[in-house]
Amino acid sequence: MSVGFIGAGQLAHALVRGFTAAGVIATHRITASSPDTDLPTVQGLRKLGVNFTTSNKETVSQSDILFLAVKPHIIPFVLDEIGPDIEDRHLIVSCAAGVTIGSIEKKLQQYRPNPKVMRCMTNTPVVVREGATVYATGTHAEVEDGRLLEQLMGSVGYCTEVEEDLIDAVTGLSGSGPAYAFTAVDALADGGVKMGLPRRLAIHLGAQAMLGAAKMLLDSDQHPGQLKDNVCSPGGATIHALHVMESGGFRSLLINAVEASCVRTKELQFLADQEKISPAAIKKTTLDQVMQQPGVTAGAVGVRSQGISMFSSNPRTKKK
Amino acid sequence: MYPYHSQITHGCCQVSEEGFHHSLSGDQFQGFPSSLSVVCSQRRHIIRMSVGFIGAGQLAHALVKGFTAAGVIATHRITASSPDSELPTVSGLRKMGVNLTISNKETVNKSDVLFLAVKPHIIPFVLDEIGPDIEDRHLIVSCAAGVTISSIEKKLLQYRPFPKVMRCMTNTPVVVREGATVYATGTYAQVEDSQLLEQLMSSVGFCTEVEEDLIDAVTGLSGSGPAYAFTALDALADGGVKMGLPRRLAVRLGAQALLGAAKMLLDSEQHPGQLKDNVCSPGGATIHALHVMESGGFRSLLINAVEASCIRTRELQYLADQERISPAAIKKTTLDQVLQQPGVTVSGGANGNSRSGLSLFNNRGGPSIKKKN
Repeated sequence: MSVGFIGAGQLAHALVRGFTAAGVIATHRITASSPDTDLPTVQGLRKLGVNFTTSNKETVSQSDILFLAVKPHIIPFVLDEIGPDIEDRHLIVSCAAGVTIGSIEKKLQQYRPNPKVMRCMTNTPVVVREGATVYATGTHAEVEDGRLLEQLMGSVGYCTEVEEDLIDAVTGLSGSGPAYAFTAVDALADGGVKMGLPRRLAIHLGAQAMLGAAKMLLDSDQHPGQLKDNVCSPGGATIHALHVMESGGFRSLLINAVEASCVRTKELQFLADQEKISPAAIKKTTLDQVMQQPGVTAGAVGVRSQGISMFSSNPRTKKK
Repeated sequence: MYPYHSQITHGCCQVSEEGFHHSLSGDQFQGFPSSLSVVCSQRRHIIRMSVGFIGAGQLAHALVKGFTAAGVIATHRITASSPDSELPTVSGLRKMGVNLTISNKETVNKSDVLFLAVKPHIIPFVLDEIGPDIEDRHLIVSCAAGVTISSIEKKLLQYRPFPKVMRCMTNTPVVVREGATVYATGTYAQVEDSQLLEQLMSSVGFCTEVEEDLIDAVTGLSGSGPAYAFTALDALADGGVKMGLPRRLAVRLGAQALLGAAKMLLDSEQHPGQLKDNVCSPGGATIHALHVMESGGFRSLLINAVEASCIRTRELQYLADQERISPAAIKKTTLDQVLQQPGVTVSGGANGNSRSGLSLFNNRGGPSIKKKN
């Protein structure tokens, strides 16, 4: 099968690196597109041997599975652009935080009756094949589509199906989770350096301790609290450290973080559920580049309040 | 970055009688520290020596699990001892095929490499007990937080002229072979001794030599680090559950996210801040989350934690540098069991004198033992 990425940013780059390291698909079967060729990740993708293009329509025609790897507010714009080119074989997998299957199906149903849509939330450690991915299956996607996606995403980490209404919470937890971890290791390394360690060693020890602990938890049936207890010898150094963490409300900060990310995801969903994109949210140069693609014109009358929709001159298009 | 994990597979693996000479091709070892650590890909037990653990608690258990999973030593070559056979870890060790005994002296006799895996304040007590039994072949590796090499050497010098001592600080993820270990080499230990220790500890995770005066800081960071991570994971799962996830899924996703991020960091040359930036799309969910964390002083709490653990370690070092153990710190039943060992008696404050501590007094022949009372 061929895999395509609409969007050539961090997520597309991380997924391609992971898939190729896993050997689950050959790079020449991967296409990625973006109107912005200056992105640093574009070079990386080219180096990996991916077919890169500025035309999203070209990605669609070259692919069977289509990952939508653009920012949430761009999704409606992209769907209008590629809608007419979707065929029966296409499986659309949206990776955009907060964008519902319902909103995608609604858009695509303007172009064909039974669009196969799935929604997933993954994270950047797919790049080292230790990602965390969940997915939900759309109305017209089949069991085989779920299996195919799970096979792809399972090659780069943990993958499981969930009810769609859990995906925003997953975004807050494992979608954003790596950023919490990077921040934590940075701080732990600062602690190590304060107490006399050289920086490189401090970072390595902090990251290794975190990796080891996470692996212990994944490999164990025990509660994290039990594992914590096992490390705290009576009167020892560790329980002293834990006390100062608890005194500062450490746990609460992490609950707050998961909540804040989830809440923001739901806000983004609201924005994405708008069927139009505010003209302020897209660069004129990007818009121009997209307009250069054959078959696309802008029905952008009264742009200021209404937002931009793409109007494709494909005869099958019906716009309300 | 330091080499992530000294696991190399290569075809030619000549194991000599001494246990660990391998023929190597130079280009396989770019970036590795000069003391080499190699694990045979065929999982042959390349350590022909016997390993003993004084103490049969969490640390001994974790190390044995890791070593056996790594295939670096056969369980019948491992002995562990503790006067307390009720410890939950004791049955775990037995199940793994380790020779268990209540006699520390027996462990010494059966072993070449001796890990001291007891609590810091017990160390002087144990050293007095086993001191007379130490032979030239023995390599003593202390894992006790805060106990200095020189305090151990000082004790053992009462019994023999050149005790080979090393000190290491490891952590419990050795049990899944993702430990973080540092070690320092004592006055009389040789290069081969460090190579041997590094070989053992590298089979269960990252291992590197450091100056001894860094070990307390390492204790605060990677020694205690797993506890910080377990606490964080518990809290992250709470956050997931608050937002609607089932608990098991929340725990799984949180642990996977931390594991993946740590692996990215270890595999990357980039600064953790750069990796964090890469995950924060403009106006997105993640940067919103980071803001609330920073507002609460998240980073500072972790610096505080490393500092608190390191400082407590230094306090423990002070206690351990005492040459005696307070009688209040040891159970009468444990003391009695130890005293049942042939040749061992106790001197000092067992008579209710709380000022002086206990020392063991060995009445075997050999270098004269003088105890201060």
